[in-house]
Amino acid sequence: MTAGARAAAVIDVGTGMVVRAAGEAGTDLPAAAASMADEARSATGSLGPGRGGGDLDEITVTTTARIHLTKVLEFRQGDALLLFVDFDRALTNQALAGLQVGELTPALLA
Amino acid sequence: MDLPRRGLPPTADAGPSGQDVTVALLGQALLSCAADRQSGALRVYGEPGGTVHVVDGGVAGIDTPGAPGPDVVLLRSGRVPEPGWQDTFTVAAADGRMGAELVRRGLIGSGQLEVVLRAALADSIFALMSGQVEECRMESVAVPSLLPLDPPADPAWLLAEGMRRLRVLASMPNPVRHDRDRVMRGHRAPPVGSALGGGQDGILALANGRRTARDMGFALGSGVYALTLEFARMREAGLLTVSSRRTVTRESPRDRAPAGEPAPVSDTPAPGAAGAGPAGQPAELPRRRKAAGGQSRRSQPGSGQPGSSSALLRLLRPGSVPGPEIPGPETGQK
Repeated sequence: MTAGARAAAVIDVGTGMVVRAAGEAGTDLPAAAASMADEARSATGSLGPGRGGGDLDEITVTTTARIHLTKVLEFRQGDALLLFVDFDRALTNQALAGLQVGELTPALLA
Repeated sequence: MDLPRRGLPPTADAGPSGQDVTVALLGQALLSCAADRQSGALRVYGEPGGTVHVVDGGVAGIDTPGAPGPDVVLLRSGRVPEPGWQDTFTVAAADGRMGAELVRRGLIGSGQLEVVLRAALADSIFALMSGQVEECRMESVAVPSLLPLDPPADPAWLLAEGMRRLRVLASMPNPVRHDRDRVMRGHRAPPVGSALGGGQDGILALANGRRTARDMGFALGSGVYALTLEFARMREAGLLTVSSRRTVTRESPRDRAPAGEPAPVSDTPAPGAAGAGPAGQPAELPRRRKAAGGQSRRSQPGSGQPGSSSALLRLLRPGSVPGPEIPGPETGQK
């Protein structure tokens, strides 16, 4: 598995529901999922309706202990799916992790 | 005047409400099926009522007129084109291979199909839990379902997700009632043709004062709960007005579903028709058949705990050594 990955989840933005999850139990995924869904919605809103700068692709939140990487898996007509990954920052190369997650995302919905 | 608000948890010191009874009856029935690993059809009598397809104690599908099923979601959202659907239906519906055949033909990815099935289950359980359940009766005879989730979903997860949704709505100061509040364009709605994005254009196009979130869910192939939340956000932004009264407006071409999308007249589940009919009987946009007790037809198993898809590709591959799967989400807010 990707070094430092603690937990991962596919999140439905419209409902904030965790559709699938894997990793360490104890992570408060449902709460994190709901707030990531809100965050993705606000980020999309801030891009404006024209999307001159393109669509939302990824959100990274870094704290002193964690890296939360949220990747857009699918965005269609109001429905969006996110892949949320919780990394241990001390064990993670952020750039490499982003790359690896990006490479794997297409397989999640295939 | 306060109207009774079905779907919202009771106020603090009220006695057991209809909502409590509904949740208790449904929860008890589903958990009992799980404990005994039963298979069959759990008939849920009430409003909107429905049928829960139970396989080895798990929930494989739910048919209810309260929320669109996966067939409606797949077709009306455009995820699966109708010609492809009909061809697949003809060859695979009769023997229960619809999902596998859709994937085999490349009409949808297996992961994406699983997401749709799971989301439809969660939406249906929300519709049942926010309504009124009078009785649940288990029949051990399996009822055929068109798109079953395999392995089926854990009832505990499903009930927890339904409760989470009820709590989210209850926490809103002025929630939209998905089965009775109707929406119209608000004073800040942009002119027709403006691109709002995020699915809001589709909602505005159908906001004619006659449709509830449930109606629009069937018309757009979207989840009722997600639409309910979106209605609340759009009302906040002045894009929609919400009324519990049916507003009669002149139906303009704009009010009708956009070309290529379902006709508005079939917003609500129509009696009779489709889905898993006999082979060779192509489903023209499958609809539920309403049966006694407000139940309807349609169904299919989906998959179990929200953890499959190879444990999220073995927790994002490189090197592997997956962590344990996280049990179904128990709580959470939006």
